Amino acid sequence: MRDVQKGSAEMIVLALLESRARHGYELAKLIESQSDSKLQFHVASLYPMLYRLERKKLVEGRWVEKAGERRRRFYRLTPAGKRALQDHRRTWREFVSVLNGLTGFSHA
Amino acid sequence: MPEWTQYVRQHLPRVQAGPERENEIVAELALQLEAAYEEGIARGLTKREALAAAESQLGDWESLAREINAAEKAAPEPARANPLGGWRGDVRYALRSLRRNPAFAAIAVLTLAFGIGGNTAIFTIVDAIALRGLPYREPSRLVAVETRKADQPELESWTSALDLADLREHTQSFQSLAGISPIWNSVLTGRVPAERLELLYVSHNFFSVLGVEPAAGRTFTATEDAPGHAAPVAVISHGFWQRQFGGSPDVLGKPLELNGAPLTVIGVLPAGFRYAGEPVAGTAAKIDVYLPLSANQLAGSTRGLRFLKVVGRLKPGVSAAQARDEIGRLSAALSQQYASTNRGFTFGVQPLSEQVSGRYRVAMHLLLSAVGFVLLMACANVANLLLGRATARQREISVRVALGASRFRLLRQLLTEGAVLAALGGIAGLAIGWAFVALLVRTGPEVLLRTTPVHLDGRALAFTCAAVFACALLAGLPPAWRTVRSEIGHALRESARGLTGGHRATRSLLVVAQMAFALILLVGAGLLIRSFEHLLQVDPGFNPRNLVTVTTQLPASVQTSAAAVAIYKRVAEQVASTPGVVSVAAVSRLPLMGRNLGSWLYREGRIVPGQPGIDVEYRVATPSYFQTMEIPLSAGRLFDERDGAEPLIINEAAARRIFPGENPVGQRVKLGSSPNRSPWVTIVGVVGNVRHAGLDVEPSPEVYRPYAYSPLGNPILVIRTAAEPSTVASTLFAKVRVEPGMPAYNLFLMQDLVDRSTVERRFVMLLLSGFAAAALLLAAVGVYGTVAQTVAQRTGEIGLRMALGASPAAALYLVFRDGLRLTLAGMAIGGVAAALLTRLMRNLLFEIRPLDVPAFALASLALAAIALLACYIPARRATRIDPLTALRQE
Repeated sequence: MRDVQKGSAEMIVLALLESRARHGYELAKLIESQSDSKLQFHVASLYPMLYRLERKKLVEGRWVEKAGERRRRFYRLTPAGKRALQDHRRTWREFVSVLNGLTGFSHA
Repeated sequence: MPEWTQYVRQHLPRVQAGPERENEIVAELALQLEAAYEEGIARGLTKREALAAAESQLGDWESLAREINAAEKAAPEPARANPLGGWRGDVRYALRSLRRNPAFAAIAVLTLAFGIGGNTAIFTIVDAIALRGLPYREPSRLVAVETRKADQPELESWTSALDLADLREHTQSFQSLAGISPIWNSVLTGRVPAERLELLYVSHNFFSVLGVEPAAGRTFTATEDAPGHAAPVAVISHGFWQRQFGGSPDVLGKPLELNGAPLTVIGVLPAGFRYAGEPVAGTAAKIDVYLPLSANQLAGSTRGLRFLKVVGRLKPGVSAAQARDEIGRLSAALSQQYASTNRGFTFGVQPLSEQVSGRYRVAMHLLLSAVGFVLLMACANVANLLLGRATARQREISVRVALGASRFRLLRQLLTEGAVLAALGGIAGLAIGWAFVALLVRTGPEVLLRTTPVHLDGRALAFTCAAVFACALLAGLPPAWRTVRSEIGHALRESARGLTGGHRATRSLLVVAQMAFALILLVGAGLLIRSFEHLLQVDPGFNPRNLVTVTTQLPASVQTSAAAVAIYKRVAEQVASTPGVVSVAAVSRLPLMGRNLGSWLYREGRIVPGQPGIDVEYRVATPSYFQTMEIPLSAGRLFDERDGAEPLIINEAAARRIFPGENPVGQRVKLGSSPNRSPWVTIVGVVGNVRHAGLDVEPSPEVYRPYAYSPLGNPILVIRTAAEPSTVASTLFAKVRVEPGMPAYNLFLMQDLVDRSTVERRFVMLLLSGFAAAALLLAAVGVYGTVAQTVAQRTGEIGLRMALGASPAAALYLVFRDGLRLTLAGMAIGGVAAALLTRLMRNLLFEIRPLDVPAFALASLALAAIALLACYIPARRATRIDPLTALRQE
């Protein structure tokens, strides 16, 4: 299931970037709070994941300086990233329905 | 507060990225650490605690660097817009997945390679021997005209010069007709050493009939070939030009001396030209020198003397059948007009290509169909393997679909896999085909394969590859399509057992077909092997062991019979004095070298005016010939040294045919084209039959005349040695040359001659046996694959049965029943088909019938045995199924 988990982590990151661009620390905090720390997803793997997504051209990182703030690296979805997220979502729904079906089947 | 960037640099191992990118990464991680640290401080942690918490979020530095490095190497997603992009990835994936299944990959690739290689090689050979058009202008208009004796159609066909003249004059079908006659003794003299040459007398239009232009100079004119006024001119072959004149361009007009007679070279033929028509008995396929037909001493002979081969070019639009009709009417008219010489003879017309390769056609078609069957079996096997694999991969594919792989991509992936397989098979097949052709050309019969260059046929290779590729792709398509199209949930649920019903029926069908093909091939091979067995048991009529032969030629200066006898005696004495030589003799023609020119025999008291005599084979032999060859004497006596021209020895076949129930010894007969002019000769002995025409040809009536009657111009010496003759053989050349200018040639062991006479049959038999063995193997793989998969699919069921108390024997039965059902069905179909098909190979069989019971029985047994073996391996696996494990799988 490692692939599935990796896939799901990717999906989470992509989903978090869907509404707007965010920087790394912000993403880390969001994942931590939203998943109740239940997902086996460390900040440690966040940055490598972001770099991987960037290499795959699904996200785009850019240094942004705001007045009175530090220079930060903001990530946003590319068009390919948006499509990948949609694919992920559809597959996931199918997969979950299959899992449900399977569980239903095994109890029948 | 530490300097964060510095801190990260100190702790993070080097990242494999450009310095700029590394700076970015370090800066970003520093920001993360800083933010986490600040947050810790804000929560009231000590500096040390806050730092530890911030650092622990990033895990240990080593693995962080490792993960970043891996991420930095990630390949970009392939662009979705280009549906054909990423094929390299597909190919890599296919190769990877084949590497994971080396057994599957090896079997599939080898099966394909064998199919492609074998098929291409055989097609190449068959094409070279039997299919390729003759290398002349408009070869379809070339025909051979043959004179046949109605009651002895097996006799070699020769046509008389006067008949040829009538054919030219009284027919409309032919644009031109050429006559060809071999020359038996010809030596290039005036050069040292003297060289024996292969010569043909040809009519002046011979080259224009074939449509061959000389490479230099010209060919004969009608004047040079005028009856009785032959010009001393010669056209030479390209090879002879190179050999004797070093390819010099000023060869035209150069003198040449043949048997002491001067000639002038007027033309050189193009390289690679050879006359492909019926190899005129006793002449090699490569002719060195061509002379005008009218220079032949026989040119002015009577109508009864048949010594010509005839080749003709049909007029445009005239078919061979029309020519045959016309020529048939003419032969009827001629046998009325010239009853004494032409009654019982008819003219036949057949395409020249038919004469060239007709007698091999059945064998070639047999091989072609055999290899076609093997190819079909190979395709079936690959289809079977791919179907099996598709079934096994159903779950993998379903999961990939569920995880978002697009259907198009999956389809493409599966097809790529088929193509990769086919490509690998094609490459290996090319190598196999090349090696196979080389092997066949080296080991195959010389007459068939070494007169024309044989190259791997590109078209055949392309065709076979295309066929097998298509097959591999088609076999990959249905399961791929089916899998990809089906409902994913359904697939995931069912993939353990379901979705395979259709495949299973297809696969069973394929196995049944394979079994049928295999049986047909096995029966065919069995029949040929049994024929060959019979053939090897045939007694050639003489003892070929420790017998060696060499041919020489008396010097042109020898003009009288007495001189010829004297010089032969000197040769014989020289050879006989060699240590290890037991006896020496000479004969006009060796056994197993094909038919000789025959003669007519008239028995005293049975001569009917106007009726032709009895056809007999005719040989001249020295007195010691029969002892040397160990041909047994069955009545009367042999020749002795005092004999003149009168005595005659006949063989048992002649005794039975001409003197049934009587003692031929002491009877008088006449030999020759007409009884009037020939003297009486007396039969003094009867000797055993010798298989002169071939081991598989019944001996025909034959007579031997003594050497003194007709001293041989080029005596063929037969020499019996006390032991293995190879050691003696090396000294024979020198011993034979008692006079300078006498050539010695054609030195070989008699056993080789016997072996060579079976080489064509052996060749066809070995090839067909090879195909049958391959078919057996393919069939075994097919059965094994199907049964093994059935066992894998029914593991649960078998386990359940065993848990409920079924014995291992019952499980064994379950599996065997499946395999046996397929085997028996295939064998039943194959048996019937074989019974129908083997009739077509009747001509290739020797002393057995096409429905030979042992051949059918042995083939069936072999196939059944190998099928059972193929079932046994998976069946044994079935008996070892642990019910608990099996049920858990469910």
